[in-house]
Amino acid sequence: MASLPPIAIPGQRLGPLSTYSAGPGTHVQQSFIYASIAGPVVADPAQPKSQTRPTLRVSRVISPKDQAGSIPAVPVASSVTSKPRYNTLPAVDSIVLARVTRVQKRQATVSILVVLDESAAQSQDQSRTASDNDNVASILTSAANPENHSSTDELRFQALIRKEDVRAVEKDRVVMDEMFRVGDIVRGSVISLGDQSFYYITTARNDLGVVMARSDAGNMMFPVSWKEMRDPVTGTTNGFAPFVKWPHSGSTSNNQADSASVHPYVRGRSSSSPEIIGIHECQQNHNYTPQPSL
Amino acid sequence: MADRRRINGPPGGTRPPVFASLQESSTGVATRVQRQRQPTELRKIFLKTGLIPTASGSSYLEFEPSASLAAARSNPKSLIPPSSALKLACTVHGPKPLPRSAAFSPNLVLTTHVKYAPFAARKRKGHIRDASERDLGVHLETALRGAIIAERWPKSGLDITLTIIEAEDDRWWGDAPDSHDASWGMMNVLAGCITAASAAIADAHIDCLDLVSGGVAALVSDDSNQSATSAPRLMLDIDPAEHRSILSACVVAYMPARDEITELWLKGDSSRAALGKDDGRTGHEALIDGAVDAARGANTVLAEAVRESIARSFA
Repeated sequence: MASLPPIAIPGQRLGPLSTYSAGPGTHVQQSFIYASIAGPVVADPAQPKSQTRPTLRVSRVISPKDQAGSIPAVPVASSVTSKPRYNTLPAVDSIVLARVTRVQKRQATVSILVVLDESAAQSQDQSRTASDNDNVASILTSAANPENHSSTDELRFQALIRKEDVRAVEKDRVVMDEMFRVGDIVRGSVISLGDQSFYYITTARNDLGVVMARSDAGNMMFPVSWKEMRDPVTGTTNGFAPFVKWPHSGSTSNNQADSASVHPYVRGRSSSSPEIIGIHECQQNHNYTPQPSL
Repeated sequence: MADRRRINGPPGGTRPPVFASLQESSTGVATRVQRQRQPTELRKIFLKTGLIPTASGSSYLEFEPSASLAAARSNPKSLIPPSSALKLACTVHGPKPLPRSAAFSPNLVLTTHVKYAPFAARKRKGHIRDASERDLGVHLETALRGAIIAERWPKSGLDITLTIIEAEDDRWWGDAPDSHDASWGMMNVLAGCITAASAAIADAHIDCLDLVSGGVAALVSDDSNQSATSAPRLMLDIDPAEHRSILSACVVAYMPARDEITELWLKGDSSRAALGKDDGRTGHEALIDGAVDAARGANTVLAEAVRESIARSFA
């Protein structure tokens, strides 16, 4: 087995198909794996169950997982690249953060801000996802800012959340106007590449839903229950952006606690009977990055 | 459409005429520039990626000025530069969503724009792309389309914009147009565009089969050496200002790892090449081979630039 180059450029031969299987960032020609983008080469060790050969891929960004990988790719500085590039396309099952641009009776139109890194989304060790939360938070705070609502939606991928895809249960009682407001930030999962102009997104899962919203007064809103957000300044739930997640009756509390600790934006109340809780309790339970100015 | 309400200047811009008698001024006869390089020696290339922060990928390419131009800059005898050296910038925007009116596309939709800056050539260019610029755009798109793995980017578009900051001359500026004349400078510009665009695409992390680079070769007859049997000779990477008469030229876009040509552009009469005695190739075969050799040379620079770009973005 020939040693792998630490950094590949497009067209560089990486290894034979008999030794490796081809992963993202590579292509196969005449039973050899070639790099198709420039970047560090990573060999993911073979999973004993599913495959017999290690997977070769060329990474787009350096994630902590890659640095701790089996093959020392490049001597990386501790800081991740200063200008992260999110030029990954939404694919089926990828988790995206999107801003609501239009709410209609049967559907909500959103524009996709970020496609979360696939490896981070899939990795079992969920604390890793915290690594790109800093960037995501900065993107979200700027996107939730009403002054930032410029014409850049033209450059973003558009998506639809259909009424049936908002939550998993009581689908027929969904009222779109109470679920989303224009400007809300939604975490969703892509279910289809859709038609010529729109992707389709679902929020019918425990870790999906509205993650950031502003009230009519312009203050940041915080969730007070599994389906309600409240403005801490005015104290009203007026113009509330409900949290679309619906607790499954059979879901274990373990599951819920997991998702709450994973992502600071994901609120999970483990109780199956919804109750209104105080703001302070809410903050203790979930460490939100943007603190309300009281 | 011209603006009819105002008095417009001439559409092509103007430049004071240079008469033959003026070339014999007090400083002596304006000297023709000569090629100082070997026939197979390429000009040096400067190529750097990532210079435009708002684009998802970008590159800047510059050819080394010829020896005569370098000499004229250090010791100017005339206000008119004897030759020019290619300078161009490339930006890649995308992958971004297709416009709403566009039909569904399962592949990446590639759009290329080549635009000369108004001051790029000796004759000024207008602000609207003319036929030659659109032609270059089509050639460039053909060259890149063969290299990009388009099916990995469904429903998205990629805009590639090239700005020619300084173009190559079509002939020596003091020469009157003659029968062999064609826009030879365009071929060098296309080769530079291909190399720069490939670097910018790699900088944008778009999946490619290989780095594609451009190369130029030409059949040149220099009558000045007075030898009776001055058959045209094959030269790589010509600067058209340095030659009296270019018979034919060829540009290729070449992928060295796969040994494939994605774009081929031949121009002129390649039937009278003076090759070696045991060389069984025809003129145009020799031309294509020469252009591929030039493209291989450019590819070494390109690969180095892409490596630098990676080292910079991951450092």
